[in-house]
Amino acid sequence: MSLLGKSLTRIDALGKVTGETLYPGDINMPDQAYMKILFAGRPHAIIKTIDTSAAEALDAVIAVFLAKDVPVNEYGMMLKDQPVLCGPGSEKPFAERVRFVGDQVAVVVAESVAIAAQACELIQVEFADLPVVSDPLVSMQEDAELLFPDKESNVFIDYHILRGDVEKAFAEADVVVESEYRTPAQEHAFLAPESGLGYIDEDGRVTVAVAGQWAHEEQDAIAHALGLPLDEVRVIHPAIGGAFGGREDMSIQIALALAAWRLQQRGINRPIKIIWSREESIIGHHKRHPYIIRSRWGATKDGDITAADVEVIADGGAYACTSTKVLGNATLMCTGPYDIPNVKVDSYGVYTNNIPSGAFRGFGGPQGAFAAETQMNKLAQELGMDPVELRMRNVAQDDTVMSTNSTLPKGVTLDKVIESCALAAGWNNGIAGWQRSGESAWPPKITGKTKNHIKRGIGFAAAFKNIGFSFGYPERSWAKIELHGETEIEKVVLHHAGSDVGQGAHTVFKQMAAEAAGVPVDKVEMRLADSAGKEDSGSASASRMTFMAGNSIKGAGEAALEKWRNEERPAIAEFTYRPPATTPFAPKTGESNPNFAYGYVAEAVAVEVDVETGHVNILDVICANDVGKAINPQQITGQIEGAVVQASGYTILENFVQQDGIVKTPHLSTYLIPTVLDVPDRVESIILEYPDEVGPWGVRGMAEMPYLPFAPAVIAAVKDAIGVWFDEFPLTPERVLRGLGEI
Amino acid sequence: MTIYPFEYFEPKELEEASSAFFEHGSEAAILAGGTDLLNMLKANILKPKVVINIKGVPGLSGIEEIDGELQLGTLTSIHDLETSKIIQENFPALSEAASFLGSIQIRFLATVGGNICRAAPSAETAPPLMAYDAQVYMYGPNGERSLPLKEFFSGPGQTVLAEGEILTKFKLPIPALRSGSAYLRHSIRQLMDLAIVNVAVSLTLDEDSETIKEARIVLGAVAPTPMHASAAEKELIGKPATLEIFEKAAQTAAQESKPISDVRSTQDYRRAMVQLFTRRALEKALPRAAQKN
Repeated sequence: MSLLGKSLTRIDALGKVTGETLYPGDINMPDQAYMKILFAGRPHAIIKTIDTSAAEALDAVIAVFLAKDVPVNEYGMMLKDQPVLCGPGSEKPFAERVRFVGDQVAVVVAESVAIAAQACELIQVEFADLPVVSDPLVSMQEDAELLFPDKESNVFIDYHILRGDVEKAFAEADVVVESEYRTPAQEHAFLAPESGLGYIDEDGRVTVAVAGQWAHEEQDAIAHALGLPLDEVRVIHPAIGGAFGGREDMSIQIALALAAWRLQQRGINRPIKIIWSREESIIGHHKRHPYIIRSRWGATKDGDITAADVEVIADGGAYACTSTKVLGNATLMCTGPYDIPNVKVDSYGVYTNNIPSGAFRGFGGPQGAFAAETQMNKLAQELGMDPVELRMRNVAQDDTVMSTNSTLPKGVTLDKVIESCALAAGWNNGIAGWQRSGESAWPPKITGKTKNHIKRGIGFAAAFKNIGFSFGYPERSWAKIELHGETEIEKVVLHHAGSDVGQGAHTVFKQMAAEAAGVPVDKVEMRLADSAGKEDSGSASASRMTFMAGNSIKGAGEAALEKWRNEERPAIAEFTYRPPATTPFAPKTGESNPNFAYGYVAEAVAVEVDVETGHVNILDVICANDVGKAINPQQITGQIEGAVVQASGYTILENFVQQDGIVKTPHLSTYLIPTVLDVPDRVESIILEYPDEVGPWGVRGMAEMPYLPFAPAVIAAVKDAIGVWFDEFPLTPERVLRGLGEI
Repeated sequence: MTIYPFEYFEPKELEEASSAFFEHGSEAAILAGGTDLLNMLKANILKPKVVINIKGVPGLSGIEEIDGELQLGTLTSIHDLETSKIIQENFPALSEAASFLGSIQIRFLATVGGNICRAAPSAETAPPLMAYDAQVYMYGPNGERSLPLKEFFSGPGQTVLAEGEILTKFKLPIPALRSGSAYLRHSIRQLMDLAIVNVAVSLTLDEDSETIKEARIVLGAVAPTPMHASAAEKELIGKPATLEIFEKAAQTAAQESKPISDVRSTQDYRRAMVQLFTRRALEKALPRAAQKN
């Protein structure tokens, strides 16, 4: 009996609820020493000198490492623009500069956490401050202070889409809607701040055990910085306390490896441990990109969208991280999943002295979707047309040519998710098209007395989001399957490097391995989350893990079964899945085949607004998400609810404040994430299963998708409630009250 | 996160606690519930050389009615304030304020004396205690003394406690007939968040059950210390309790408040919320006063 589609209890549930499971911070090794990283603490400066003598004079200090100790002092997923340690003495040009407050300056190893902290305070760093560039619009100007003096500009990436004749289309349009949108930075606030161990393993490999998203990428970054061959570096991912993209880039990994490796060279072979505090975590890792999106769309009076002209500016912060790809997504998604024949998009990724921006659930999609869907809702208002009807008239389908002058992969189901969500939210498709009935059972009516100062409204939005790596990236995922037994398969062993960041990936791996080998799930054993002995399985990101790992497991299973039938015992097969190729944007037109698969989603949101305080209360959410095939429906529902909760924080609460490069909200008492009282009372998850053509068993990725339409749906609901459009969020009470003109 | 080493005392008598506190002066910290102190130790905001845990000192906790007054021991937990019948019936604003403090776990540990001695401008229990005319009792090297609570705070995090002085209890007169009170607070996050403003009000009506005889409006989080909106209080006295007069008093309270701008909100927004929540609190207190005949 197939296990696909069954909500198998998570394999990690018992260990996690009993506390038996060890996260990196819980692991202690004999004779371990403790590490602390000294941050720059200032946003833009040149380090003249670093004096570590007082720190090193402390008895219990084992070592202090600086930039000069890093053989190849650079890293970065897309551009290697970030020094491992900032300061003089390395060959990396301009590595003596610090470019944000969390730049790492020194690594201290000591006998205790307290001594390591004391030693950090004793390190004398002489800084020469430079002008701080904190506004991306200022940073783009020609005379702006350059963060990298060897580059011509602070604009480190730009993309351009040009399709059709935009100006002609605007001239002929009946209605034009133009707005400037601004989206905020967001902190991942995963449960477990960065922690881990660095040591030399039994085979002499420089090893780090940390929480990450992509063991092989971390292995590569460490090997590059230390100048070591790949096979002398090992990355292990024990239990991971959440990620959401926040572990996509390096944090403590290279410092841990550096310390273990340099100490061994001094004849000290001791494990090194570090646990970041919440405050170190908030300063120390990247944030979601703040965006400025200037958008102008035109349509005919029949609701045919004819033109879009969009300028997209992403504040990349101090280093590029994954910004180039995040900006690519926003460039693609800022015109929505709609049939628009004339499109012009100009996008820029810009350095500033803010905390670097990088991967975060949705990866440029939420910002693009916010602008696109709010434009749709404003157009619907201008046209006097129902917002669902307007979407259905423009919805992308299999044969629609998108802004990239290419069609989407076959199996576009945007119309299906919009239809399902709209029907559940009280719309119906009658002679006059899609309309909402006043008699709708959704959202639930208030019983009892209603207060005059509480206004209610509903909003609708849809979105598409790529699955897997885009724009020509060599996407792949590896798996190995062993089949043991004689006459029948008694044991299946799956080897896979994919990370379970808390989303339940390994449970789903087990279900898929059992299905691939045709055995019950209790016959499957797994060897996971360790770069040693495994090939690259790619990152737990881009809603790709079930899709990519599934295809690799399926392929390895089929190959192993073939060997089994040929009477090999044990039958062992490896398989690397490579999806259909993608291509990057052409420089001037953006012409491309950017992605090999997409997920589709629509959401309806009901809110109430207190017009006296400005407080927005999100009451009810309906989310329709096409997941292709739900391997484990309970996990799917969990991902939808989790995305809605996280997006609630993004939309109404989370206000990450940086002033002149200084973080004003470094604590969870000032950076407010939602509690259970701040999230919607109810989320209805509608799981649709229209198979993807290349997904394993039809699977589409789904974990980011419900995040994307949430903010624009809330914005539309607030407009419905109080008559005011907000082009910037979070919708803090004060912002709402100002929008109402009350203060 | 490293706590600096300190000496630790568990005195068994009030006098012993006070003399230890006096001896070490500013190098000592008092531990009651510890919910605030521990955070400050972990964040190295405080680096005391001595920590004096007064939880073992007898007679410092409990809620009792004695001779027409409510006596609250300094170690009384916030959870006890929240759930005490006598407080819910006679001092509902105090019980309501307690229910907003931190999380349930914090409320079991945190003490009313600790909340007051911390002297945070947004302290949850300060406005209701002041609105109920609480008298605060202290014990120190020179024996016992007492003050009205409104004279206890001298600035953000500052009190008039002298070296070696320990807050021991509060006394609150049982409200007169036809008295009603209420507590409201506004924060960006629904709970587990510092208040933008918190307001406690108390109204006592005349025998006609219409005219306001006594009024207290106490604001938190909008000045360096919790404050009486004295002008607003005066405006109410002798007037009939109407929505119009409440709105006018609320406007006056907003003018009297001295809020700051910070990452949570601007001064303007805080002032607007003082007006709104003062009005809402008065509207909530009035029917309670009318019921207490």
